[in-house]
Amino acid sequence: MEMDREVKTQTEGESVEKDPELDTRTEEVKRKREMEPVRVCVSGSALLLWRSADLQLVRERMGIVGTLVGSLARQPRQNCRLGRPLQLLLEEARLLKDTGRAVLVKGAESECDDDRVNVEVEENYAKHLQHSYEEQGRLALEEKKRVLERVMTERLGDQPIRERLLSLKSSFSFPRSAMMVQLCTARARLSYAPDERDWLATDWPLPRDNKQEVRYRVYQDLRQQGYYITSAGKFGGDYLIYPGDPLRFHAHFIAVCVPIKSQSPISDFLCLARLGANVKKTILLCSPSETEGEGVIYTSVQWSGMV
Amino acid sequence: MWATRPRCTLPSSPNPSAPLCVFQYRELMALDVGDTAQVYAAFLVYLDLLEERRWQEVTSRGSAELQLVYLEGRESESQPRQLIIPLPGQRSLSHQGVRSLLSQPGLDGVPSPSLLLAAVAPDSTLAYYRFSRGFVVPEPPDSIQDLESGRERRKRRRL
Repeated sequence: MEMDREVKTQTEGESVEKDPELDTRTEEVKRKREMEPVRVCVSGSALLLWRSADLQLVRERMGIVGTLVGSLARQPRQNCRLGRPLQLLLEEARLLKDTGRAVLVKGAESECDDDRVNVEVEENYAKHLQHSYEEQGRLALEEKKRVLERVMTERLGDQPIRERLLSLKSSFSFPRSAMMVQLCTARARLSYAPDERDWLATDWPLPRDNKQEVRYRVYQDLRQQGYYITSAGKFGGDYLIYPGDPLRFHAHFIAVCVPIKSQSPISDFLCLARLGANVKKTILLCSPSETEGEGVIYTSVQWSGMV
Repeated sequence: MWATRPRCTLPSSPNPSAPLCVFQYRELMALDVGDTAQVYAAFLVYLDLLEERRWQEVTSRGSAELQLVYLEGRESESQPRQLIIPLPGQRSLSHQGVRSLLSQPGLDGVPSPSLLLAAVAPDSTLAYYRFSRGFVVPEPPDSIQDLESGRERRKRRRL
């Protein structure tokens, strides 16, 4: 999985807090961490998971797949391989929340709505870069002096080298393009301490409507049956249903969630059936039953192939 | 009698006094269920199944409960009987409606697990698709070997 290949670098200098992800020595600690609810960050209307341990946990234990939407620090300008955060479907986040496996917290971005704060952050960063540049320049100069001294002692006082050493300080230039810049791929600002969780807790980002309820009931039922579910925007349906992990299987069904009594023109069924035939998947009409205790009703639609 | 007649082209609007193929149409009308458009759709599907596709034992039945005429037949002698529901393409259908169609008992009295819905367009084009209860796993994609051999053949042809 992509998250395994991401390189973990040091967090920003000022934090001395030990990253709990590193402490995987004892089984008990691991089990305890698995029972803790994961933090789902609410960023606008997007629901995100940031920590790779959380991503792994929800995938392995809950069968929740989500979509990676972040760019990789070392491969930013491409769309094939994406990294964290993992964006969850509304239904996935709701299932996690309802089963107590997740809490919603405010995303870090929502703290920076104030433009003044952003300008301050930018200025601080520019100052930090300048300081780093001067420091690197000084260290480069010292290194060069050391090299020249060593060469001098080896060649026992070569005159041109001595002259170079003396004029080093004035002639040396450290170009800006040679400066090393550290890109942090982990942040220390968002604390994961349990006592901060309640303070950061936030509400469900969107109002609930009938369509969402229908989708959620279908999602819950399919998940309970053990199917893996991802979004089916590309196929014109609601969900893609896999018999196992999407990394191992092709999808078998395109689920279309409809209220059981809502009328659709027959041409809509025709469109769906032909689409399913083209991509070798069965269209599954899913409707939560209105009678108590009946669960969700599924009907498969396939193009008959009679031409 | 119908097998010896050539396939007849009918006017696009249902006209009970059409000179050809009146007998069966009148039989369908006599079932006294469904509106004219639905009965006409059933008639077109009946002709298609019997004369074009050569299905066997095609019979028509009426459902007072669902107010429509539907057909039953088998594709060939070895195939089981199937339920065919003809509907005009402009009709709307709900999931509940599909389920109630699926719960119709066949000639043997037992509801079949799937049915064929025949959508009849205003220009008399027919499209058939199958509705089944539950999860029906699709056919697996073509084997990789077939794909590769196809690709090689195409490459050779291009050269």
